[in-house]
Amino acid sequence: MAKIIVVTSGKGGVGKTTSAAAISTGLALRGKKTVVIDFDVGLRNLDLIMGCERRVVYDLVNVIQGEAGLNQALIRDKRVENLYILPASQTRDKDALTQEGVAEVLEKLREEFDFIICDSPAGIERGAQLAMYFADEAIVVTNPEVSSVRDSDRILGLLASKTRRAEQGGDPIKEHLLVTRYNPERVTTGDMLTLEDIREILAVHLLGLIPESEAVLRASNQGVPVTHDASSDAGQAYTDTVSRLLGEEIPLRFHEVQRKGLLSRMFGGNRR
Amino acid sequence: MSLNADSANMAFTFKGGMLPMTVMELSSADPEHIRRQLAGKLSQSPAFFQHTPVVLSVEKLDEPHLALERICAVCRDHKLLPVAVRGGSEPVRQSAWALGLGWFAPVEETRARALESVSKEEASKNNASDDERIEAQAKSAATRLYRGTVRSGQQVSASDGDLIVIGAVNAGAEVLAAGSIHIYGALRGRALAGIHGNTQAGIYCRELEAELLSVAGNYKRLEDVDPRLLGRTAEVHFIKEQLEIKPLG
Repeated sequence: MAKIIVVTSGKGGVGKTTSAAAISTGLALRGKKTVVIDFDVGLRNLDLIMGCERRVVYDLVNVIQGEAGLNQALIRDKRVENLYILPASQTRDKDALTQEGVAEVLEKLREEFDFIICDSPAGIERGAQLAMYFADEAIVVTNPEVSSVRDSDRILGLLASKTRRAEQGGDPIKEHLLVTRYNPERVTTGDMLTLEDIREILAVHLLGLIPESEAVLRASNQGVPVTHDASSDAGQAYTDTVSRLLGEEIPLRFHEVQRKGLLSRMFGGNRR
Repeated sequence: MSLNADSANMAFTFKGGMLPMTVMELSSADPEHIRRQLAGKLSQSPAFFQHTPVVLSVEKLDEPHLALERICAVCRDHKLLPVAVRGGSEPVRQSAWALGLGWFAPVEETRARALESVSKEEASKNNASDDERIEAQAKSAATRLYRGTVRSGQQVSASDGDLIVIGAVNAGAEVLAAGSIHIYGALRGRALAGIHGNTQAGIYCRELEAELLSVAGNYKRLEDVDPRLLGRTAEVHFIKEQLEIKPLG
């Protein structure tokens, strides 16, 4: 039986899709059979980040409306075994998703996979609520910035009330915090919230911290999830995050200002 | 033996109970005046008006005759259910009964009678402790305990008594109580105590960053609060017609 994990945030542009792609890639690299589903119907991006946009034929909405079979819509990742992508429709809107349809798709996937990663759209409307409704665990992506923290707080409230687990009164959804775009230098100068501030306000388990990194932008534009870039700080941070998701205890990295050596100060080397 | 057989056949049993009850203390006998005020209140807090049972207190009115039927109709129009009348003259009592409402003696009389009964029962201490227990239960049932963080967009309310939050109340969240609000954590959202008009209610928290503080409708915004009080423990009371905020202890 697969574990269903929603990657959500409330606010847009904080790195949900990047994180969903990086985490699902990391899980597959660890040998877990993983599928990542784009719930952002009408604004699909996941296929671009995963680098499979040229191979999309059918999508989630086609499957829900019975126009295609699930296996026809699943795209197999070219780089990693065990990784599949279920893209969103670009031409429809979020009303095309129904709760029964989503339930049926997830039920079928559950039998075959170890992990189902749901990439939620921004906002708290129908698309976001459907992405989180059936989840067992949630990864709430937050930037070190007040409005992002406020929106994440709102999402955590919805996770505790508007999901199947909440409605049926079983074990609550396991909530994780993933802080992205963390820049220790800017935290020190007071431009960004500190990790401690975020943790104090949101009061949930910290799954990982991803430093602000050029590697992320590069990875997005090349369509290669940043987890593949093992030399980059962000790639390593996502690998750590995946290990923690699998229950390992890994110390936190990249949350403190690194002292720059003489050479990098002279040549203004950027961290990669 | 015969007692047991009887109890199996009983259609009901009488039990003493103390239920939380809203008293609507009238200071005007004019149904239209009442209607106008109710309409205003209804738009402010619609959640309160859901066939809420109320006792109409007419003690403060000095009128031998009341348009009781019309006042009740106004209440029902606004989803308040008058169940009894307290105080008033003999004609008021008669018309309450005629309308199918109960009638309670004015507070002064009730208190006097309670004292009387206590002195009577002083000999049998057991009964007294029973009463106390019932009263204590009724009070604790009205207190609401919430464990965890109250998050942005969430509203937690105790409509009959105190609210205790073990955790923080985050920005964008709202906590309300008929009585006092106790927060064992940071208060960053809105806290409204004494929502039914109890000016004795207070707000207590471990760290004050509240967006809004209100006791019985008298409020202060974050902007109005002395910055030196922020980030510390605080208690908030309504004293001398204004909100007083000071560090706890």
